[in-house]
Amino acid sequence: MKLSDNKNGLLSGIRILDLADENASFCSKLLADMGASVIKVERPGGDPSRRLGPFLKSSSQPERSLFFEYNNSNKRGITLDIEQSAGREIFLRLIRKTDILVVTSYPGYMEDLDLGFDALSKINPGLIMVSVTGFGKKGPRSRYKSCDLVACAFGGAMHVSGSPSCAPVKPFGEQSYYAASLFSAVAVLLALRSRAQSGKGQEIDISLQEAVTSTLDHVMVRYFFDQIIPKRQGNLHWDNSFCILACKDGYILLTLFQQWETLIGLLDNENMADDLVEERWYDEAYRQEHLDHVIEVLQRWTMTHTKSELFELGQLMHFPWAPIQSPAEVLKSPQLQARGFFMEMDHHGGDMAVKYPGMPYKFSNTPFHQRKRAPLIGEDNLSVYQRELGLSDDQIERLSSLDVI
Amino acid sequence: MDKRPLKGQRVLDFTWMLAGPYATRILADSGAEVIKVQCKKMAKGAESNLGGYFNTWNRNKRGITLDMSYPEAKEIALRLAKISDVVIENFSPRVMANWGLDYKKLREVKPDLIVVSMSAMGQSGPWKNSVAHGATIQALSGITWLSSSSKDAPSGPGYAYADIIAGLYGALAVLAALEYRDRSGQGQYIDISEYETMCTLIGPALMDVSLNQHEILPEGNRADHISAAPYGCYKCLGQDRWCVIAVFNETQWQTLCRVMDSPLWTQEERFSTLSKRRDHAQELDELLEQWTGTHTSEGIVRLLQEAGIHAGIVQNAEDLAGDPQLKARDYFVSIEHPVLGMTTSDTSPVHLKSDATTGWKTSPLLGEDNQYVFMDLLGMKEDELSSYVEKGIIG
Repeated sequence: MKLSDNKNGLLSGIRILDLADENASFCSKLLADMGASVIKVERPGGDPSRRLGPFLKSSSQPERSLFFEYNNSNKRGITLDIEQSAGREIFLRLIRKTDILVVTSYPGYMEDLDLGFDALSKINPGLIMVSVTGFGKKGPRSRYKSCDLVACAFGGAMHVSGSPSCAPVKPFGEQSYYAASLFSAVAVLLALRSRAQSGKGQEIDISLQEAVTSTLDHVMVRYFFDQIIPKRQGNLHWDNSFCILACKDGYILLTLFQQWETLIGLLDNENMADDLVEERWYDEAYRQEHLDHVIEVLQRWTMTHTKSELFELGQLMHFPWAPIQSPAEVLKSPQLQARGFFMEMDHHGGDMAVKYPGMPYKFSNTPFHQRKRAPLIGEDNLSVYQRELGLSDDQIERLSSLDVI
Repeated sequence: MDKRPLKGQRVLDFTWMLAGPYATRILADSGAEVIKVQCKKMAKGAESNLGGYFNTWNRNKRGITLDMSYPEAKEIALRLAKISDVVIENFSPRVMANWGLDYKKLREVKPDLIVVSMSAMGQSGPWKNSVAHGATIQALSGITWLSSSSKDAPSGPGYAYADIIAGLYGALAVLAALEYRDRSGQGQYIDISEYETMCTLIGPALMDVSLNQHEILPEGNRADHISAAPYGCYKCLGQDRWCVIAVFNETQWQTLCRVMDSPLWTQEERFSTLSKRRDHAQELDELLEQWTGTHTSEGIVRLLQEAGIHAGIVQNAEDLAGDPQLKARDYFVSIEHPVLGMTTSDTSPVHLKSDATTGWKTSPLLGEDNQYVFMDLLGMKEDELSSYVEKGIIG
């Protein structure tokens, strides 16, 4: 079955042009997974995000980037140089058939090419254009350079992450890009509903910095309501409710205050509760004051057990404990396996199937099936340019010789 | 006239804590009529109506009280479901079924209803009944391990990142299901696993480990696959002040050297190419930090950004609250609360044309909208409502 023939996807019939690099390629991937028809538009030679690792067999070829693979599966791919006039013409023809355009170029780039929202909406008044940039298109820092590291610093994620004795730590992976992509995808679906009422599209201006700040949970709440500036607490949870402790074969996340008697009972059964059985420790305020001692006793106990023993025991007693898992352990998780979370797909240039995360939700009426790996560079040029735009072989040849496609 | 995109959509909201309320806050901000169901004995801690936490995640929602432990409450809940478009909850899997409000039952009263469950693990699998908070999910998903300064000091993100991410996926799922309902006339049941939502955000790392059969160890801000040096977080002048700097290519390196007034060490052979700088990253970082340590974070970042280098201030909550960029974009909103006075919270990165925050209201007081919901929407008579209140079912 061809992608475009799937009538039963949640978002079937919605057409997306994806000009995004690594900053927001996950946005249209989320929508493609739900059945939208996405065409990835890359410059001739391929999108720069193909140069991002990790790579298949650790060989840094553009068609072996696992980052690109993950963020662009279920899309079709064409090449097009929109800076050349012939490419521009083709781009405008594609825009007529597009509901959503996703761009990540610096503020003003599309406008300089006369391809800004105002110009494009004259051609297609229903067009929804999402622009994802480091700081948004407006504001005094809109021209600042950004990347995941800069966005996580300015956004506030780093200041509260890591150990107090070390430098702040950026959340692993490209979290600002993923968060911004999730917000962008939500924005797109909201704008589609507005368009259903008004007939008009709109431009949506998403900032990586704001996407990061929006994920900070307690940080701004405590500032605005309690005048507290939260700091890094290392292995201790922000409200001291959890602590990460070493155990026999790794690390375990343990609660420090919940169901105190049950917790001490567990230790006492093994004669490891030390003085924590004494009355004064029943007082939560006292425990907060002498937290170091509580943690010390607990850690002596956790060191005599494995992660999985503690996880099982904790869950049995309704404690929200968990092992600190590595990616290899995540891949082996019996829970994720039972739910069929990981998809397997053959990868170009690989001799084995790639295992990667599927969708985190199950829709009863529109079940998900992974259908297609990420496109190779220009893989769908013929089908898009010939079948959908009606260009002739000669025309395509000529555009290709001019490096337009 | 309110032109917000979800105007006219009604959401019956059984969510609590953060993941669920964040999903429904997005819907409420966008114009949906979200009816948050509470009861006196649950309105504590994070769910206390006068707390900052509750007020941040529950603005623009209506609030009713309905104690689901009473069998009569089930019938009232079903009457509410009948006039709703979406029912959403984030309990562990057994709760809704125990109340007699599973999807099968809900669908009977409203066939095109969209029902969303946002549990920690999902509705199936051996761990489905696990107890989990955001921190638990982060530990299980690998993000805690990977976001640490070293393998000997796991720490993870210092906030419940997983809850916000699950909330975003929840809102996305509702919007996609509404889109599908409008096209097909059909509702559906959506089973979200917060554990899985977190795992989708380390996709490339999971693929890497599965394919290349190696283990990824936490390395602080450095990562094998990032082709940049210097790349990291550096100490600045002042108490706990830091900046980040990322240099991706030769031109940027030359620029950085110039901005630093080309100290001698920058000319050394071991720093002469990007790959050599990566090989000697630790020494490079130490030398660079001698320079950053004599500047304020604000000053150095302005200097570097003006020269075209990726740099950032490691901002804390106070910096964010006064951030001129966020201010210029109206990122924070202040609303007058009848008891708490002026309250400030984040809006969202999604600024739609129709999203003026002028009509926004603070989170509801406990049972604030009982009269509107039970009498105006459900058509209860005053004596019927007061008999439920007397029995403690409503109230």
